[in-house]
Amino acid sequence: MKAALTIDALEVNFGGFKAVDRMTTVIDDGELRVILGPNGAGKTTLMDLVSGKTASTGGKVHLYGREITNWPEHLIAREGVGRKFQIPSIFRDLTVLQNLEVAVSQEPRVFRNLRLGMAAADRKRIDEVIDLTGLEPVLETIAGDLSHGQMQWLELGMLITQQSRVILLDEPTAGMTQGETSKTADIILRLKGSHTIIVVEHDMAFVRKIAEKVTVMHMGKLLAEGPIKAIEADPAVREAYLGTGGLH
Amino acid sequence: MSNKAFLLGDRAVYIAFIVIVLGLPLLISDVFWLNRVARYLVFGMLGIAMALSWGYAGILNLGQGLFFGIGAYMVAMSLKLQSWTSLQQGSDTPVPDFMLWNAQPGAPTDLCCIVPGSWLWIPFQAQWFGIFMAIALPVIVALIIGVTIFRLRVSGVYVAIITLALVLLTRLIFIDAQPITNGFNGLTDLGWLTIGGVEFDPLMIETYYIVAVSVCIVLLLTRWLVSTRAGLILQSTRDDANRARYLGYDVASYQIFFFTVSAAIAGFAGLLFVIVSEFATPTYFDIAFSISMVVWAAVGGRSSLIGAAIGAILINTIEATVSESEMFQQAWRLIIGVLFVLIVLYMPRGLAGLARDILTRLVSLGRTKNPDAANASRNPAE
Ligand SMILES: Nc1ncnc2c1ncn2[C@@H]1O[C@H](COP(=O)(O)OP(=O)(O)OP(=O)(O)O)[C@@H](O)[C@H]1O
Ligand SMILES: [Mg+2]
Repeated sequence: MKAALTIDALEVNFGGFKAVDRMTTVIDDGELRVILGPNGAGKTTLMDLVSGKTASTGGKVHLYGREITNWPEHLIAREGVGRKFQIPSIFRDLTVLQNLEVAVSQEPRVFRNLRLGMAAADRKRIDEVIDLTGLEPVLETIAGDLSHGQMQWLELGMLITQQSRVILLDEPTAGMTQGETSKTADIILRLKGSHTIIVVEHDMAFVRKIAEKVTVMHMGKLLAEGPIKAIEADPAVREAYLGTGGLH
Repeated sequence: MSNKAFLLGDRAVYIAFIVIVLGLPLLISDVFWLNRVARYLVFGMLGIAMALSWGYAGILNLGQGLFFGIGAYMVAMSLKLQSWTSLQQGSDTPVPDFMLWNAQPGAPTDLCCIVPGSWLWIPFQAQWFGIFMAIALPVIVALIIGVTIFRLRVSGVYVAIITLALVLLTRLIFIDAQPITNGFNGLTDLGWLTIGGVEFDPLMIETYYIVAVSVCIVLLLTRWLVSTRAGLILQSTRDDANRARYLGYDVASYQIFFFTVSAAIAGFAGLLFVIVSEFATPTYFDIAFSISMVVWAAVGGRSSLIGAAIGAILINTIEATVSESEMFQQAWRLIIGVLFVLIVLYMPRGLAGLARDILTRLVSLGRTKNPDAANASRNPAE
């Protein structure tokens, strides 16, 4: 199978402290990968490195064979990496529909965007995403007034509208009720196959629902990788979570 | 539903504004008043520029006077050379009177070398050059500032501090270059704008129309600009620059573009102001003036172009009316200061926001007319 994202001995050095340390993993096209790890394992930092938020100090990142290591954020985004943040990051003073309209544009240049309206294809994609995320009733709502769960779905929806080939989701169910978590799982499962998705998550019930292959990080390093069953039985993983309440 | 009401209300305000601005000469026959109104319309244009950068781009430019002042000086240089005070200095080519006062004994009475740097004035003998530079130079300066600060991802209060410092610096430079700028006194005794043999006396109705039509065009163009996709993307960068980056947008290029457009509008306003007021002084670079623009936009509503324009016009009209009494003149600054603080704290969307809220009330009132009426009749004491 074709590799979507290749992370090769990636590392970042924060003044002597390596938050990510020679991390290596390959994510296949269309795969849904879950990344686990105790607090401070370096999961968020790994996403920062892949998406260009933080510059790495060693190693390489390839996206569909093309090296994107340390590119500026917007170029990595245009290359096809979409990123959802731990704290919902949406355009709070715009309406939900406007948020999606910003996300849909495939034309990044200022002068090319000096026009009204949008292409029928873009309109159609927005409609599909509205369908998928169930945001129809709140389209004209100012995004800052949405519930926490709706904000998360909107951000997720923006990544889909954006047509990201690889989607990075950092704790997409954080702060959600059980009902909201389950809806989020449904959205992610529906994306499976058409998008390559990488999810960082602590909620094990959620992970079991969506996961196939799991990567466990510990102290910035790769600790274990494999099917969820094998990972849960892995003594090294159990030890890493020792004292933190373990995988539950 | 309610959005439709907003759009209709919005459109009505634009149409009313344009009709009033263009029809005003029918109501005001006093040319001096008309000239005053023209100046306030120019300030309205500054309000639009401010709303564009502050409200739509989230760039609080505390040095907008920089672009206004540059625009004003550029056209004033040309008009100064057309003035009789420049034509009667005993040379074949015009030379500003103040240069003679500053010249070394024996210096030739010619722009080439009467005072150091006076050669900079040479191209301004052509009026179109001054007009062209009144927009071009603000654009160039804005591009340089914009590229520098936005590529470095300077944002928020730091932009405010930098722009403030730059306008102060420019003020110093203009005052310091006294031999070629006439320092504190600025450029006075200007000639009139002349197009195709027609001289535009500032007190002529035609001159009023130059300003009025310009303001309307700028208003509509800016309005179009913020409704384009680029305008929407700009607003998204204001809300969350990082999110915009992760959607693939080069945030800095949007900020630079709109910052520059705002500067061009301010430069154009400076140009018009000189035409109606016949002078250019370094007070345009005063901090107080740039801050006033922020106040106008805040009062009118920084997230509404027309709101900010109306805010500017209203405040200046009221100011002109009350300043006829000495006591009020003192109190006015205090009133404006308190008003500004209150609006920033409690009414961040200004008058435009207030108008919207009222419209919302009316719309929802209209929708639930019967239940409301029933409530009211049940509680007559309230
Ligand atoms: N810019 C930075 N400078 C210094 N240290 C940092 C920086 N960013 C992250 N760290 C440190 O790197 C380590 C990894 O942090 P990271 O946020 O990636 O962990 P995480 O796996 O996402 O944890 P959590 O599950 O709590 O979200 C932490 O110890 C954190 O304090
Ligand atoms: Mg994290």
